Amino acid sequence: MAYFIPAAQTALEATGQVIHVTPSPSMLFSPTPSATSAPAAVSGAFTVLLLGSDDDSKFSSDHVLTQSMILIRVIPSTKDVTMLSIPRDLYAHLSTGGYGKIDGAYSYGGPGAAIATVEQDFGVHIDDYIWVGLLGLVKLIDAIGGIDVVTSNPVIDDFYPADIYGGWPYDYERVAVLAGPQHLDGLHAMQYVRSRHGDLQSDFGRSQRQQHVLMAIRQKAKQMTPEDLPAMSAAIGGELKTSIGLPKVAQLLPLAASFDNPDQIRQIVLLPPYTHGGGPGGSITPDWNRILPLVHQYFP
Amino acid sequence: MMISRFVLAVVLAVVMFVCGTSAYLYLGSKQSKAAVAAQKPTAATPRAQALSLPGTLYLAQSGALYSLSAGRFHQLTPEAGWTMPALYPDGSKLVAVKATRSYSDIYVLSRLGTVQRQVTNNAARPRFDISDNHWSFYPRLSADGGTLWMAYDQPKYGYDAIFSIWSMPFGGTVRQGKLWTNANDYTGGDMQPVPVPGGLIYTKYDYGPDIKLVGQLWFTNRAGSAGKALTSPAEDCHSPALSPDGTQLAMICTYEKQISYLTIAPWNGSSLGGRKTVVSNLMVAQPTWAPDGSGIAFLAPAVGAGEFQLWWLPKAAYVPPPPSPPPPPTPGGPHNGPLASPSPPPPVPPVKPVQVTTNNGFDATSPLASLG
Repeated sequence: MAYFIPAAQTALEATGQVIHVTPSPSMLFSPTPSATSAPAAVSGAFTVLLLGSDDDSKFSSDHVLTQSMILIRVIPSTKDVTMLSIPRDLYAHLSTGGYGKIDGAYSYGGPGAAIATVEQDFGVHIDDYIWVGLLGLVKLIDAIGGIDVVTSNPVIDDFYPADIYGGWPYDYERVAVLAGPQHLDGLHAMQYVRSRHGDLQSDFGRSQRQQHVLMAIRQKAKQMTPEDLPAMSAAIGGELKTSIGLPKVAQLLPLAASFDNPDQIRQIVLLPPYTHGGGPGGSITPDWNRILPLVHQYFP
Repeated sequence: MMISRFVLAVVLAVVMFVCGTSAYLYLGSKQSKAAVAAQKPTAATPRAQALSLPGTLYLAQSGALYSLSAGRFHQLTPEAGWTMPALYPDGSKLVAVKATRSYSDIYVLSRLGTVQRQVTNNAARPRFDISDNHWSFYPRLSADGGTLWMAYDQPKYGYDAIFSIWSMPFGGTVRQGKLWTNANDYTGGDMQPVPVPGGLIYTKYDYGPDIKLVGQLWFTNRAGSAGKALTSPAEDCHSPALSPDGTQLAMICTYEKQISYLTIAPWNGSSLGGRKTVVSNLMVAQPTWAPDGSGIAFLAPAVGAGEFQLWWLPKAAYVPPPPSPPPPPTPGGPHNGPLASPSPPPPVPPVKPVQVTTNNGFDATSPLASLG
């Protein structure tokens, strides 16, 4: 029992979080752009919303934006995985009411609001969520011993936020993550997925890099055993929250090991023409007529 | 009766302690080794029958440079940001990069790791903006030793910090340098210069047709010209390495995926021939030809995932053995009757790459340097 105490503590504090999904007030009045959630068409398939936040000291810990929103659908029977990155600046109908950038949903109403917003706007059903903060991602990757990533290009940023370990959260630093296959620890993996100044596609380019790191974490998870969970739990501490209970986490580890074919991992980023710039307040405007058929194809 | 109860309690307490501790230790032993920290290369004594690579290989781990010679590692520098060793053309010294959090510089070192001089000076002056610092990476010397090639983040414009290929007099300063390539904005830029007879091969990062950032090998023979592409965007290749006889190029191609194949192709001085993938089941980085042409050293995690280890691909894996000579004629007179059908040659087992180290985490972004 003592061996699993850290995992049990995490199970009580971080996993199995209850989600209060509040329907949007306007769902009752406006048919657009929401669509009704379709049930999972394939037995055993499940959908997880992955949320990543800048939770440094610039923000109140209760009201952080989600810099990263990735919808992941897993079909265990066919070993198909689809990852859809939702642009953080997408101008969307928020479940808490009104319109705004979709990254604000979590800030206004926590994971329940983020889930409800994505469900109503994209017409999908979400089974679970995982939220991770900046330090959480760093600690998670360090706890699994780092990850192997083929970085697509040199990521050079002269104005990278130095807000995790520095004393002044508005400071910045230079980073240079070189290109090619390499082993990244948590800090450098964070730099790779978070930097956006040197990328013409800005947030879209960052979304593609985030998917690279997700796949690398999945690859590394194949080596993990349930006996690793206590050490991982102790390392991550309260930097991760999820509605997935610890028993299910233990079930998912061997499942991750069975996904071997990279061609069965589908990566979707909502680049133009699915979205275009020029929305209110620097937001990105969705073309729902293009997005919804795409989403319903892969998230039935 | 009281004594027996006391003894029983003690026995039970001992049993509980032993069982609990054993279970704790047993479960702990079942942990994966995924998060175990890499050892320094010098920590282990090589086995007597361990594979010994030809010549001397220079490589980096955790900010320190190491040499590998006769199967034994030697630490050349402290762990202080050292990476990307390259040899003088005559093999007498090393140039290498020393990186800090904000800038990096190129130094000359003896082959034993003693710093002899600083070549670049990329630190911004105090109170200047942090973006006035510069990075220099991937140093290479020309065949005559008079010119230093490098990837250098100049020019840059605001947020658009990109690398370009520069040359500079090896005895001079960056101010005397010459900008050779114009990198595409917001791509990361041009990297990994490899001087070859008649010009320069380098990796250019750019947006491919599907708007993904990809690497492409290019060849140029004059400053200011991007030159011509040697590989297609879809191949997504980088890390060029020229064979000692100058007739083949080894490279890494990733095909826009999280894979990394070791590929070789004939090189005629201006273009590449047909590609041959020689390792496809490992995440290969930094291919380096042995000086005697006997194989290719590279870095890759052990099968699965993990930190990058040193591997060796013998030449027989990518060069087919010469055909065996025909059997001598059978002595005697003219043969009557049907000829015996020739027996097929015995199957040749495929030559696989050999994993040289098992628990070292080498810097996979640092090219290896090989000395004959």
